[in-house]
Amino acid sequence: MTKLLLIEPDRMLASIYFDALSAAGCEVIYAAGAQLAILVADQIQPDLIVLELQLIEHSGIEFLYELRSYADWQKVPVIINSVVPPREFNNSYKLLKKELGVVDYLYKPSSTLKTLVAAVNKVSLSKV
Amino acid sequence: MGTQEQTFQILSQELLLVVAEELKLPFMQIARLAEQAELSGQKLNTALIESTADSALKLIDNYILGVRLSLSPERLGLENVSVSSVLYDTREELYSYAKNYGVDLDLNIAGKYGPVSANKKGLEAALVSLGAALIEALPAIGTCQLRLKLATHRSRYGIVAGVYADTKQVSLSALQAGRKLSISSRQPLVNLSHSSGAGIFVADSILKAMNLNLTVSRHDKWYGIATILPLSQQLQLIT
Repeated sequence: MTKLLLIEPDRMLASIYFDALSAAGCEVIYAAGAQLAILVADQIQPDLIVLELQLIEHSGIEFLYELRSYADWQKVPVIINSVVPPREFNNSYKLLKKELGVVDYLYKPSSTLKTLVAAVNKVSLSKV
Repeated sequence: MGTQEQTFQILSQELLLVVAEELKLPFMQIARLAEQAELSGQKLNTALIESTADSALKLIDNYILGVRLSLSPERLGLENVSVSSVLYDTREELYSYAKNYGVDLDLNIAGKYGPVSANKKGLEAALVSLGAALIEALPAIGTCQLRLKLATHRSRYGIVAGVYADTKQVSLSALQAGRKLSISSRQPLVNLSHSSGAGIFVADSILKAMNLNLTVSRHDKWYGIATILPLSQQLQLIT
């Protein structure tokens, strides 16, 4: 079973994603912010992270830099599921993928639960 | 076009931008709730959808009110307003939205402060916008308890009415910076809201049109955002 850390600041969306990903067979652990997510990641050692970039206080990008600074977490795949459109990254999109280990980028307003579950399943299967 | 009209146009466009950004959230919530019901075969949670849509409609209505009041201050009828009753009505308006987010909404209206001279509809709209923004943000802040207080107290400047939490998330300088950033940043109040914080800026615009200000405030050991309503000396004499 894939151990998935869901980082989502909106409580209502978090609950919907939690149910959909649990139904897809993941063990989902939820954190609303970056600081808590680091603590949770330390405890559960996730196989995969689904991350919103717009968080309160510390952004998702700050979380990614913090995460990748630990040797144990350098290879944990991250799927971004965000209200920030990927076009806003322009040239730094490659950095997200190559340096920060982002395996997929979903623009939240136009991605469905099906899309999210498919992206998670793709990563989970590739790790088997 | 006069300078004043141009300024209002720019202001309303800035505000429209943050409102449009904010409205993505309830639409996403409704769309995903519908999809969830379809995928799981479970009954659609219509109460949740209704309350989410209602809250989005209130934000739109309050945005329109803010712009209309700014354009035509003559619409702004002043009346004797009891701040306690405005806070009571605000709590009623926000109750189901707070429930969706698991947030307890307390009311602290102890103390008799007498009426103030204000526009009741405008004041209530500002407090509802502000409250909705803080309800949405609170679960993401990492506070000990999901509890907000609608409260009033007397200060040396007048009667303070606002929304408070047990955690300090915003300073006056951060609020001022947020106002400036609202046009260029998709998250202008980074310590307070994970979205555009439209409810706060809409409240700000309504209060500005009423010659009031949105400011940071403390109530007992709670921190929050509030407005200060100057006491009317004449009303004090009458009541």
